[in-house]
Amino acid sequence: MSTVQNVEPFGDGFIAALCPELIIFAGLLALIIIPNIGKGTFRIPGTQTRVMWLFGGERFKITSNPKMPAWIATITLGAAFVQTVLSFQDGVDRTAIVTENGTQLLLVNGFSRVFEMIFFGALTLAAFASMNRLEVKGIGPRLSTDDLYNNRRQADFYILMLTCGLGMSVVALAQDLFVLFIGLELASFSTYVLVAFYKESKVGTEAGMKYFIVGSVASGVGLYGLSMLYLWAGSLQFDVLAAQFVINGTDPLPLIGIGFVLVGFGFKVSAAPFHFAAPDAYAGASSPVAGILATASKAMGIIGLIRMLLIVASPEASEDGTVWLTLLGIISLVTMTWGNIAALGSTNPKRMLAYSSVAHAGYMLAAITAIGAWNWDDSLAGEPGEAAVAVLTAVIFHLVVLVAFKLGAFLVLSVLESDGDASRLSSLGGLAKREPFLAVAMFVFMISLAGVPPLAGFVSKLLVIMGIVKVAIGQMGAEIMAGGDYGLADVHWVWWLALAMVINSAISVFYYLRVVVVMFFEEPEEGRTGPLPSGWQVRFAILACLMVTLFMGVASDQLLEICEVAAKSLNYSWN
Amino acid sequence: MILLAFVSNANARMRARLVGPVRMACLVFSLLMLVLTTGMFFRYFGDVTWMDIGFNEYEFEHKYTWVESLGINWAVGLDALSFPMVWLTTFLLPVTIIATWNEKHGATYFPLLLMMGGALIGVFVSLDLFMFYVFWELTLIPMFFLILKWGGKDRKYASQKFFIYTFTASVVMLLGLITLYFLQDPYSLASSGTMTGRSFSIPELIDNARANNIGDNWYLGAQMQKILFVMLMIGFLVKLPAVPFHTWLPDAHVQAPTGGSMLLAGVMLKMGAYGMFRLPISLFPHALYHFQLALMIIGMVSLVWGAIVCLGQTNLKKMVAYSSVSHMGVILIGIATMQPMGWAAALFMMFAHGIISPMLFAVCGAFKHHYHSMEIGAMRGMAKHSPWLATSMMFAWMASLGLPLLAGFVAEIMMLIALWKMISLDGWSIWWMVGPALVLALTAAYYLWSMQRTIFEGGEDTQPPASMKGHAIPDISNSEKFAMLILALFTIIFGVLPWIALDMMDDWTIQAFEGLIIPLLKGGA
Repeated sequence: MSTVQNVEPFGDGFIAALCPELIIFAGLLALIIIPNIGKGTFRIPGTQTRVMWLFGGERFKITSNPKMPAWIATITLGAAFVQTVLSFQDGVDRTAIVTENGTQLLLVNGFSRVFEMIFFGALTLAAFASMNRLEVKGIGPRLSTDDLYNNRRQADFYILMLTCGLGMSVVALAQDLFVLFIGLELASFSTYVLVAFYKESKVGTEAGMKYFIVGSVASGVGLYGLSMLYLWAGSLQFDVLAAQFVINGTDPLPLIGIGFVLVGFGFKVSAAPFHFAAPDAYAGASSPVAGILATASKAMGIIGLIRMLLIVASPEASEDGTVWLTLLGIISLVTMTWGNIAALGSTNPKRMLAYSSVAHAGYMLAAITAIGAWNWDDSLAGEPGEAAVAVLTAVIFHLVVLVAFKLGAFLVLSVLESDGDASRLSSLGGLAKREPFLAVAMFVFMISLAGVPPLAGFVSKLLVIMGIVKVAIGQMGAEIMAGGDYGLADVHWVWWLALAMVINSAISVFYYLRVVVVMFFEEPEEGRTGPLPSGWQVRFAILACLMVTLFMGVASDQLLEICEVAAKSLNYSWN
Repeated sequence: MILLAFVSNANARMRARLVGPVRMACLVFSLLMLVLTTGMFFRYFGDVTWMDIGFNEYEFEHKYTWVESLGINWAVGLDALSFPMVWLTTFLLPVTIIATWNEKHGATYFPLLLMMGGALIGVFVSLDLFMFYVFWELTLIPMFFLILKWGGKDRKYASQKFFIYTFTASVVMLLGLITLYFLQDPYSLASSGTMTGRSFSIPELIDNARANNIGDNWYLGAQMQKILFVMLMIGFLVKLPAVPFHTWLPDAHVQAPTGGSMLLAGVMLKMGAYGMFRLPISLFPHALYHFQLALMIIGMVSLVWGAIVCLGQTNLKKMVAYSSVSHMGVILIGIATMQPMGWAAALFMMFAHGIISPMLFAVCGAFKHHYHSMEIGAMRGMAKHSPWLATSMMFAWMASLGLPLLAGFVAEIMMLIALWKMISLDGWSIWWMVGPALVLALTAAYYLWSMQRTIFEGGEDTQPPASMKGHAIPDISNSEKFAMLILALFTIIFGVLPWIALDMMDDWTIQAFEGLIIPLLKGGA
């Protein structure tokens, strides 16, 4: 067990520890400053001398280039991403950012790094692909006011992307519920606006509004729960809360408080019954943004769930700490089934993907249930920690590769959206003839979502199922070898969650295949036969997603190792 | 060898711009593979006598670590159970390509066939559960596209039904495999994963199971063994397909293009039977005994139901598809007899049906290709107009109904003998013979009846079907003739000299029996 290296803000090692965040911050400043650089002059008071100070006034050609913000954002996020990936190379160190009196605020370790990797990866791809989405109306000084406003939007959009990334990484790092909440809100508010940013379509504003209202209600409930926890424990530190929970975790107050907090996170991961806003938001937002909601934003909610359930209210902490276990099992079952059945009936591909993302949330909840189930039942006690690490590794791996194929699918829809519309299944018609590359990519993403080997989606789903089964079976193998006779009744009930997952995967094949059939074998819609709008950035992003999806299906060893490091560093008592 | 298959299809796909060269390239590669496997049989490549390979021993074994943490290996090997299937796959590939040489296909058709072949070979040679499952699912994708792209009118429905049926079954199987995986005693097997302590290796699992399946001692315990047996069997029975799960097959066959049907019926159905032998039977012989009656009933029902439904069909291809269901019932009965003879019959049936059914579908394909119709009544007096097609049809039909001296007969007679042995030795009711006896008559009836209506009836005065739109009636093309001749030739070879393949199968079943079943009967560990 490695020791924590404590660093005070702006103390030694601060920059090294928070390098990705600082990069994002610098990018944010650059995004605000650079578009404002122009031929502005400054008159020294009392004199007639004007000094060029490069702020305001007529913009330079390069700084007023509407593509500029997109490039800045992409490069910033990409650099942050590379920085996080590189940090895995020489072993992730544990660094805590503490206040003056030694309270941990942020903790940099494998767990938070891998989630940062997810966030920055998804945001980089989305930012890069969005370059083809926001219309650019000319470059240069001779533009009408409207066009100038339009170009100004570019900067706003990417600033929001960066704040979103910053908020998410704070969530990943937070060691304090309050800090976590701040990060969550920063990211949430950015996504509310990003959803509403799709002004070209009427539904965009409506979706943003809906998402905002439901989201703020969920946050409000979460905040209320937070205040209850504070009332109970006198602190919002995770370790303090966890210690308190061991002592008197069966009090109604903390249980209700945790329940309320979970509502907030449940909304983020779009678990039933808090998922109602998700399909509207996904369908209304522009596709890259919807892709962020389905991948990065969901990973953020999962972090909250993991921290609350496995660290604070961990089942080992108290005898009855498993109150939430059954409940979570039921929620996961309902979530995956509801998501899949609703997806069967939706004809809008974006809604379909939204519901499929609900179903995936259900799978991940099932995995978290399994982690919770690992050692509370004495008869099934396994190697302590090992099973939990296995399942958690699976969840993290799933979240990482989900970025590739889920975001990829949204990016393909994004291309179609710039062609006019992607809100009907038939708008995918004839995609194979119009642009084979996109059709093949979409095909791969779809069957990867369905979990068909040998793609990344299969590996991740397999790992999750394997983790659950492992927990359910525990030491039974050894006991059987010793002559025991066990049936399904003796297997822990989470095994049935694995069965539910498997059956749900089979159901999901239906709607994923439908997309494939439409793409390859139906004629394009009226008047949409021509080639698709160009844009190499989005295609490059799709290609990247495609490569990851294919590659992680056959050679996942390295990523698995990273995920295992991350899973182990969540709770050091597991090692 | 799998590598070869994959390299070949990668090459072919790269050149997918031009149909002609691709077609040629595919043919050459598939022929190369055929030469390779045939050479393996005649001991030109690798000095292997296929006769005395013990149960759970493999030749040409290769093993590379794939995912170390989970105990996944890239492990391949051949034994007398898988080798005939591999040979069959490599044999059918060039034949299929030749038989559908002149049909109008896009550039991706032949590479898809090859990809299919590669995945099938992968299923047969893999000695690792994970790899097995991956290839098992991989066969779905090319088949899905083959049906979807070149299928008949209802191809969308058929291909989706096919995919969903088999996928659902195989995810249940997957859960069974994973449960089996975690039920192992941690770190008890040689190739256990570093992270999980369990192994996916099939040979090691089988060895482990054999060590524990002695007397009344059930590997993994009685309840677990039964549960896992059922879960694995669901996957294989749907693929086979046995009667309650068979409805995807006629749809898929009727809509599939000829080449697709040929491979589907020839090899893909056998994946189910092969899987049964490789996994549930080898691992859980106790459970096999336990479910013997259930399997026998499913087999009988498939056999009889398939035949009865055949009688009512007016669509030639649908009839042939249902006859496949009926023949797969024979395999199931062979397994359920629990006689070495019955198992050998099942194995030989897999092989014989693998040669005969492609011929049936090739005939259907030619019929469709030339007459643009699949209805049995649409074309009459074929003997007059297209003697070649009529002859090959007659030959295929006869082979399928089990004419002596043709391959199908050997398997059927063996199954009957095994059934008799079961009745006399194990004291089953004699009424179990009624099913097969009935089916012999039914099979003859539907085949002869359909032949009468297409080949012989009518004559001089028959008009070509309306779907011909007044074109002259052609006979089959040279490439089709060639494919038919090859298939017919091998049907005769394996009918007259069944020992070529039967010997090694016999050997395997006897070894397997000694390895699996005898320890159960002897009792006492």
